[in-house]
Amino acid sequence: MDTFILESGLRIAGLMLSGLVVANFVAAKRWDYAGNLAGRQVIIRQVFFVHCAYIVAIITALAIQCLGWPGLLLEGGMARVVCAFFGLFWGSRVVVQLTYYDKEMRRRDRGWDVFFLGVFLTLALIFTLAAIYQ
Amino acid sequence: MKELLEFGLIIAGCSLAALSIASFWIPKALGWREKLAGLTPLMRELFLTYSFYVWSSHVLFTVLALGFGDWLIGGTNAAKAMNTFMLLWWSVRLYLQFFGFDLSEIKASRFNRIAKHLLTLLFIGLVVLFGGLLCWNLGWLQPGSLQ
Repeated sequence: MDTFILESGLRIAGLMLSGLVVANFVAAKRWDYAGNLAGRQVIIRQVFFVHCAYIVAIITALAIQCLGWPGLLLEGGMARVVCAFFGLFWGSRVVVQLTYYDKEMRRRDRGWDVFFLGVFLTLALIFTLAAIYQ
Repeated sequence: MKELLEFGLIIAGCSLAALSIASFWIPKALGWREKLAGLTPLMRELFLTYSFYVWSSHVLFTVLALGFGDWLIGGTNAAKAMNTFMLLWWSVRLYLQFFGFDLSEIKASRFNRIAKHLLTLLFIGLVVLFGGLLCWNLGWLQPGSLQ
């Protein structure tokens, strides 16, 4: 596959990932993470917010990489492993959404559910193709 | 110096593999089942999903350290970017180890104390290693230094 197409795909992925970073903050407010965790054990609150921050950090770093230096994700064995990892990362996120998340809540927000499934699926596709065809 | 960094990567990779395997005991050690029971289904699902993806990142770091040491030490821009990311990742984790987590709710058993000290040692080692790798890739450490 042409390098230009792969780089363009990774830049599009970068835009989607930037949107996901913003969406994480919106979700925290919409689903009231702080309120839901208030009164729970300290360790549960801390682990939740730390993991949440690390997920936002990894998505942010990947977004920066894809938008600024997509070529680095297309050079050498390590780049291939990283792309394959993120192909699996986003592919598994589709599976998690379909099989693990509460079906009633997904039904209530069907529009967003389908939208994010589409985003995760597209990201999985872009990174998998980047891993295979670089 | 290069040999030392290569050796450090092998030690780091094995330690991260041990951490990834030991992570399966964390829910039991911290009593997640009971503590998560009172949360709404959505918060429980988010909690476990985030935990899974953080764990999977540790698996990626393990694979990179054990299988792609040559690339991490190769001086390329990709190596600089990856080492910077992993340095930031473990530096934040080290900071949290000392100043972030309130572990007063964790049972003060001998096992937990040893585990905490081992984790602290691991995080310090990882910060030193990825800091060293970043310096090496930036050309701040020369071949033959420390000899």
